[in-house]
Amino acid sequence: MKGIVTALAGVLLLLGLGGQVVAPVTARAQEEAVAKTNLKVGETAPDFSLLSDKWEQVKLSDYRGKKNVILAFYVLAFTGG
Amino acid sequence: MAKLEASDTVVLGISIDSPAANAAFAKQIGVTFPLLSDMNKEVLTSYQILKPYDVKGGKYQWAQRTTIVVDKQGKIQHVEQGDSAVDPNSAVSVCTGLHKPKA
Repeated sequence: MKGIVTALAGVLLLLGLGGQVVAPVTARAQEEAVAKTNLKVGETAPDFSLLSDKWEQVKLSDYRGKKNVILAFYVLAFTGG
Repeated sequence: MAKLEASDTVVLGISIDSPAANAAFAKQIGVTFPLLSDMNKEVLTSYQILKPYDVKGGKYQWAQRTTIVVDKQGKIQHVEQGDSAVDPNSAVSVCTGLHKPKA
């Protein structure tokens, strides 16, 4: 009987430690939930030139003085959002 | 989109997909604005929005869903990240606001 109690206590201790070990990992995962940019309103957007779906180079600064630009970053094509 | 064209605004979609994948994606969802390929992740890196993703034990770095509005002077006017960035309405209202002459 004493052995069972000791074993149970051991299991509880393990669970307790496990909980403590898991908690910081979960917190870190939540911190990483948004890869937060340091770019701020009022700063100049870093220029870039990328290939479009029509294999043409599109340069952000080409729109300077002409158009406002909405940059819509998405994870992957064919996936929601 | 009509609201945006009226406010002198273009939309650029950006992801790590290839131009070929983006062309097929554009066709499927019927967008007319350019979808750009950041295959080297240069822009995602300079904009600091590379996010780690785990897929079936593999580790990848793709874009954090982000909407950034850049005005005609090249200045950032609006930054939105995470799930709310999927809804373009706030970015659209920023742009229609930019178009209005300032009082």
